[in-house]
Amino acid sequence: MTRPSKTVPVLCAVLLLILGGCAQPPTEQINAAEQAIKEAQQSGAAIYLADEYAKLEGSLATIKKEVADQDAKFALFRDYGKVDQLVATTKSEADRVKIEAVKKMEEAKAVATQAHHVAQDEVKRALELVAKAPAGKDRAALESIKTDAEALKASLNDVQMMIDKADYLAAQTKAKAIQEKSQALSREIETALAKIGKGKPAAGKKK
Amino acid sequence: MNSFHQNGRMFACGTAALALAAFATGCVEAVPEEVVEAVESIDRDLMQLRASEISPDDYARFTHQWMALKARVEAEDDAIRWPWEPNDLESSLRLLQEEGIQTVARLTEQRELLRRSAEEQLARVEDRSRVIARHVSTIDSRLVLGQKPVETELLIKQARSFYEQGQYGQSLAASDQAAQSLATQALLLNSELGRYANRERIARWQQMAKETVEWSRRHRTSAIVVSKAERRLTLYRNGQKVLSYPVRLGFNGIREKRYQGDGATPEGRYRVTGKRGQGETQFYRALVLDYPNAEDRRRFLLERKTGHIPASRGIGGQIEIHGIENELMAQTLGCVMLDNPQMALLFSRVEKGTPVTIVGALHEQNSVALVLANLSARTNEI
Repeated sequence: MTRPSKTVPVLCAVLLLILGGCAQPPTEQINAAEQAIKEAQQSGAAIYLADEYAKLEGSLATIKKEVADQDAKFALFRDYGKVDQLVATTKSEADRVKIEAVKKMEEAKAVATQAHHVAQDEVKRALELVAKAPAGKDRAALESIKTDAEALKASLNDVQMMIDKADYLAAQTKAKAIQEKSQALSREIETALAKIGKGKPAAGKKK
Repeated sequence: MNSFHQNGRMFACGTAALALAAFATGCVEAVPEEVVEAVESIDRDLMQLRASEISPDDYARFTHQWMALKARVEAEDDAIRWPWEPNDLESSLRLLQEEGIQTVARLTEQRELLRRSAEEQLARVEDRSRVIARHVSTIDSRLVLGQKPVETELLIKQARSFYEQGQYGQSLAASDQAAQSLATQALLLNSELGRYANRERIARWQQMAKETVEWSRRHRTSAIVVSKAERRLTLYRNGQKVLSYPVRLGFNGIREKRYQGDGATPEGRYRVTGKRGQGETQFYRALVLDYPNAEDRRRFLLERKTGHIPASRGIGGQIEIHGIENELMAQTLGCVMLDNPQMALLFSRVEKGTPVTIVGALHEQNSVALVLANLSARTNEI
């Protein structure tokens, strides 16, 4: 008669322990969220959406802390429900940030590439004008204009390198600077051409 | 039974009263909404300040706490709490709010400092660039600097562009690069034109000029001395100065001539080997010099042998003292050029065989030396 009365509580305790022991951290989901954050970072989120990326890192730190807090509890009292919820939110937020970052990066790339093309056209125009420029009153000025035009042409390579390195903001500002300087140079040559356009370059001399 | 019912009613009434009291006094939010909104507002302020760029650590610390608390706020959104219960979540949010206010104040100040520092550095490099350009133009040495001035100008434009977009850190970095480029320009000028400030070299040039004047006195004839730094030609007769005219040099005239086409005007002792009158030269009138002389050839061969001059380059020639073809096309590629009325006078007073000494400078305080001294004195300004 006494045997069943002892067995029931023991069985209940074992059952509770088993049920409690089943509470495991959602490791797979955490890894997936972490991977999503990493992908967002690789997509340029740390640069183009720095604030939102910082929040993702904050959320990941919160998840890890919550897991650690639950892990520190007695097995029966562990509850990873909050972790599940946080992981799901963080993962979906990381996916959104990744898409947004890619979009922003593509936009920045398009702006930089466009600026590069405009700068290329302006440099080409300046070089064509330099080729037309007569050896005028100030030969030193003409030589320096030629040197400047060559320098601008060389600088276009820097812009391309910046684009290749995905440094789009720097590429855009440099391309804009090249464009402005090329336009100034073209105006200078056009003014000189207007003034001395009728003059003929001197015959080549050995100097 | 009555007493039982009475007791039951009393119990029910008590429970209802307690529930009512709980509703009346205990239905408080787990966290007051305004505290959450205040922290959210601080987060917006930090984003506007570009905190993640100017102080990533500060922003990461704030964000980590904010994300942790936000998670708790969301988890405890529908929790019921007695008003007298301690609320550590609210306390934590209020603490974060306090810290956030301080962070915003600190970063606002930090950003303003960064902005000011970017603005000042940009102004310094722009000013320094203008000073160098002005000096370089004074001594016609723009070509000595090659592509450097454009590279510097582009960096300054970039710095200005970054500044206007509020990217103060990047503006400062571009300005610093421009400052380095300007320092390189000053170094380049010193290395290319340092001989104009070299006392021994100037003493040698002075000696060359002195010997030329002495030769004129001894032989009771004419002699010409040209000083490149002063851009001046002086004619001596019987050792006495008879006329002195300003001249223009080759487009790269301030440099020492090294090879054909470099636009530099040679330095050395020459003689007039021919006179070309009207119709014999495109430059009104010309005195032909015997460049290259033996010394020029020796130096040229040595430099070519050591690889300092490309093998394809020739030594050049046909260096003259000449007039101007026409006002529109006034130019010289390495000669010494005078205005036509002055050329006419010089031409009439000079014979074939007249010695012509071309030197860099005749005074220690020459224009090039003064520019170099000025530039090196201001080197540490940026």
